Amino acid sequence: MDSIAEVREAVKRFPAPEGGVITALDNISLNIQQGQFMTLLGPSGCGKTTLLRAISGFEDLDSGEVRIAGESVAGVPPYRRPVNTVFQNYALFPHLSVSGNVGYGLDLARVSKTEREQRVGEALERVNLSGFDRRKPAQLSGGQQQRVALARAIINQPKLLLLDEPLSALDRNLRQSMQLELKSLQHDLGICFLFVTHDQEEALTMSDQVVVLDHGRIEQIGPPEELYHQPATRFVAGFIGDGTLFSGTIENSAEDPILVTEGGLRISVANGPSVGTNATLIIRPEHLNIAPQEHDNSLGILDAVLEQSVFQGATRQYVCKLANGASISVSAAGSGDEALSSVNTGDSIRLAYRRDTPHLILES
Amino acid sequence: MKHPWLKRLLSLHGFLFLAFVYAPIIIVVVYSFNSHPVNMMVWKDFTFDWYLSIFGNPTKLTEQTLYVESTDQLLSAVKNSLTVALTTTTFATIVGTATALAIYRYHFKLKPFYQGLLYMPMVMPDIVLGIALLVFFINFGVKLGLMSIIIGHCTFLISYVFVVVSARLAGMDSTLEEASADLGANPWATFRRVTFPQILPGIVGGALLAFIISMDDLVITYFIAGVDSTTLPVFIYGMLRRGVKPEINAIATLMLLFSFAIAALGLYFRRRN
Repeated sequence: MDSIAEVREAVKRFPAPEGGVITALDNISLNIQQGQFMTLLGPSGCGKTTLLRAISGFEDLDSGEVRIAGESVAGVPPYRRPVNTVFQNYALFPHLSVSGNVGYGLDLARVSKTEREQRVGEALERVNLSGFDRRKPAQLSGGQQQRVALARAIINQPKLLLLDEPLSALDRNLRQSMQLELKSLQHDLGICFLFVTHDQEEALTMSDQVVVLDHGRIEQIGPPEELYHQPATRFVAGFIGDGTLFSGTIENSAEDPILVTEGGLRISVANGPSVGTNATLIIRPEHLNIAPQEHDNSLGILDAVLEQSVFQGATRQYVCKLANGASISVSAAGSGDEALSSVNTGDSIRLAYRRDTPHLILES
Repeated sequence: MKHPWLKRLLSLHGFLFLAFVYAPIIIVVVYSFNSHPVNMMVWKDFTFDWYLSIFGNPTKLTEQTLYVESTDQLLSAVKNSLTVALTTTTFATIVGTATALAIYRYHFKLKPFYQGLLYMPMVMPDIVLGIALLVFFINFGVKLGLMSIIIGHCTFLISYVFVVVSARLAGMDSTLEEASADLGANPWATFRRVTFPQILPGIVGGALLAFIISMDDLVITYFIAGVDSTTLPVFIYGMLRRGVKPEINAIATLMLLFSFAIAALGLYFRRRN
């Protein structure tokens, strides 16, 4: 596959307001392939927006480089870069109509009036806004403004479309439908999307590749499934999806390795890590079940007390307390696990998991 | 507002306030149509005579009622005022807008200090500015005339335009300029297509303000006007010193009408944006 954009060893530092230096980008390298939907995911201040602005040209790197379509864009101003951006607040031109906004890039490129009108019409149709061309941005709802911003950015047929948290201002329902719409739009257009968000659910829903950033560093790059099932670091494990983290040291028992946590909890894990290794285990709610009366060696067991049972529609969540005081949640589909639904709050239960399912993060 | 009488008291207060502000103006307008030639405050008949009189057509007037020095002098003062106001407004608007854009866009050493200096002429007493300008012009051998008035007005009107345009810039969404650049517009195209249309109401507002203040200024102009460069306010002041004449009411009413027209123009521009 062709590389559309590449970031090599990018470093960017800002003076901190209270003195000192903030490293927004700390040696970032990544590669966006043709046709990919890539998401930069991280908490606020992790450097994701700085990285996006370095690609669009609004921020210069201290060192490292950005290459678009194989060529370095160092010193190339934003208006000469073959990328377009959907801004967080949409940044629609208030004095121009919807078609004036969408046709802005074509007008600058001196595209003839007839072609411009045709392409504006097509772009508006793509985002389901046909018939809105004469309105001013102020006369549109947030969701409609979002679509205008999208149409304006794709009409230039950029090599790469940058999206800076474009859905954060929308309400939950609209956001979810826009996520799927963006995904199918990206598929239809075949343009690379580089999407910035702090919402892990959004990242998992839409992306081919997710880049998890924290403190200006890449924690992990991979497809959503990989990040969820095989998080590379504690940060990724904690940031993506629900689950309980257990940190401790691997010790050997009679049969299998055991992770002994600081609280003294002993959790058996699958074979692999050597004794004495520091490791973190992530157990997700769907990994757990009520332990059957008889079980074989493949199951690990945790003793717990049921504290709360919460109905969540499609699933039911059980919050349990472990011997060391940590809480752990168990989720069961439908009306709930039969064995679990017979348990009352305050009862002691035994939770079971397949020992090879929870992911073990080894720390060097 | 529990008590209805408290509410009524508040409306009365509002009414009295408006009366306090507008009653003198309304009286001037009403009495500009009063035909009593000696005592302006005694209503006699409705007449347009004072208006005709200022334009040199004293139909029913006798020698003793014709107070205006001469229509030529009045018209020349109006012409001077318009010349000064139009030139000053043009210059102050261009320089003030450019300054506001520069201050908005660039960060440099002593920027707050520089900004402070720009606000200064607005709070400086007119009389100080007038004296300072007069001393300056005399020391540097500048002949007092229309040019000295124009230079003098520019010194403080640039500040007014700067303040109005700066406020508009501060309210502008700065990502608009980035969006424009992102879509392929070079800095000049971005200015022409995005920044300028966005701040245009501010520029127009600043220009109208500068025009009105320049037309209206007496104190500073009084110091730096030459013999042959009397502006309308200076002319009216000169008339008043030799007694209040009915024509003053007519002139004041016309000036009021003119100001309303300018304000309406400003409102029209604001509405359109």
